[in-house]
Amino acid sequence: MLITRFTGDSDSQRFRLRVTIQHEDLLDGNIKMARVNNKKSDRVRKTLFFCVLSLLIVVTVPLVPYAIDAQAVAEKQIKADNVVALPNPAINLWNEVRQRNAITEGSSQVKSVDSGILINKAGEDWRRFRMEILVPYGAFSMAAVLLSLIAFFLLRGKMLLPEARSGKRILRFTLNQRTAHWFIVGLFWLLAITGLILLYGRIILIPLLGAEGFSITATACKDVHNLMGPLFLFAVLAMFLLFVKDNFFTGADLKWLAKGGGMFGGHVSAGRFNAGEKIWFWLLIIFGLSLCISGLILVFSIFGQGREVMALSHMFHGISALLLISVSFGHIYLGTVGMEGTLESMTTGYVDESWAKAHHDLWYEDMAGASETTESADKNSQAGIVASGIANTSHK
Amino acid sequence: MARMKFYCDAERCIECNACITACKNENDIPWGINRRRVVTIRDGEPGERSLSVACMHCSDAPCAAVCPVDCFYTTDDGVVLHDKDICIGCGYCFYACPFGAPQFPSSAAFSSRGKMDKCTFCAGGPEETGSGEEYTKYGSNRLAEGKLPLCAEMCSTKALLAGDANVLSDIYRKRVVNRGASVLNWGVQYKKAGIDS
Repeated sequence: MLITRFTGDSDSQRFRLRVTIQHEDLLDGNIKMARVNNKKSDRVRKTLFFCVLSLLIVVTVPLVPYAIDAQAVAEKQIKADNVVALPNPAINLWNEVRQRNAITEGSSQVKSVDSGILINKAGEDWRRFRMEILVPYGAFSMAAVLLSLIAFFLLRGKMLLPEARSGKRILRFTLNQRTAHWFIVGLFWLLAITGLILLYGRIILIPLLGAEGFSITATACKDVHNLMGPLFLFAVLAMFLLFVKDNFFTGADLKWLAKGGGMFGGHVSAGRFNAGEKIWFWLLIIFGLSLCISGLILVFSIFGQGREVMALSHMFHGISALLLISVSFGHIYLGTVGMEGTLESMTTGYVDESWAKAHHDLWYEDMAGASETTESADKNSQAGIVASGIANTSHK
Repeated sequence: MARMKFYCDAERCIECNACITACKNENDIPWGINRRRVVTIRDGEPGERSLSVACMHCSDAPCAAVCPVDCFYTTDDGVVLHDKDICIGCGYCFYACPFGAPQFPSSAAFSSRGKMDKCTFCAGGPEETGSGEEYTKYGSNRLAEGKLPLCAEMCSTKALLAGDANVLSDIYRKRVVNRGASVLNWGVQYKKAGIDS
């Protein structure tokens, strides 16, 4: 102890010394006591301290490379900002070219499409459309339809037939109609998937496949899309010719629409096709033709069509495609998991009598009438089936 | 770090098309592909002006933004290049580019597009610098040899300039100042003549 070594002369000093010694002893004793008493809590404190320290190390050390990287990025950004801030001498010139009344079209010794055009103003609009409208809203519309279908399925489940199957089957789609339908189904999804890969592949597939891997996929998709695309025109025309007869709107369709197509319960009358099916048919015809025409303009670049026409065609193409894909989810849902007994109309061609009564009562009455008068329900079908609208071809 | 840019002086360009010839020869460009072209407006009329146009190596390149396979990249010198091994020849860059830079060989059936070709600022491509493969696919890599693009180097009236944006800015500024100070002032100022009427 330092203080015990202290030696003084006077009484007061001695006294102070003693007091100090006493005080020091007391203090020393206290510390010793405290050391004994607090030995446990001290260890706890030490353990806690090292825990926190090691936790901090564990948490921060892996972040160091990121921090260094962020630092580098920030420095790069500052450099880049400096570079961008410097005026590019071409800016004034090209700004003048881009004035509202500036002449942007001239002539060039280079003879190719649009070579005489100084600046393509539509390009930036098209870029904005594709990157800021088509890509996000296309994904949004597809996701919205899918999610609402899932929600609807969870709420309502599969819509079952109100009556038991009668066993009597009615011809709904002839072989020609079914062939045309499945032809357009195959073609539609081939083109939809290849098209969607070209639209969303950069975002979704490049991280998975890498740029070079995706390039191979995208080349295949582009070739399939370009080769098979023109066939879609024939598919749409076939659908139009085979189905247009029963797809004109009637008064019953208004009632069907007013009741929401029976989505909220209750019976709705409908002819061979209900208003929903008719709307889907006309959407397919109108946007399908829009797809075909714009697609042909895009794929056959041999007629000297310029960039503005192509950019516009691409806008039509993208909007039509994403709209049809989104709506087709609803069609597929109702044709498969959504309703009992619907899919067999497109696979076998026949539906059960109770299905016809439940969903297309007006058509059922027509068919029942037709069977009595032996009028042909469909000219394309086989004579034997035509002879009776209702065929007694029950299951065995 | 340099930021490479082209600048074509409309007051100087005489539409001799030597830049195109130089480019074709230097980079061995096939028929039908024009990495550079000269556009003349008001041809044969008062106020005729010509501009030599190629890829402008944009900071925010529209071609790179719309490319579905992400084949574009910007070099440290600010040159926008693309990878022909990744390009699928969809033509989207052609729709988006304001300057009509992307070119497509159309040798296949129905003139379907081959892999895109465009001005590389004579900076080659992603292949090994100076390799034969780089030359075949992208043309010469003059930048790596410390040279500027041949179109600009060959320009007889020094209308077409290529190089660091700062240097070009200085040259441009000097030219404008000198023109404005001309006692004759023959209507060659940018606001009095030229393309913004």
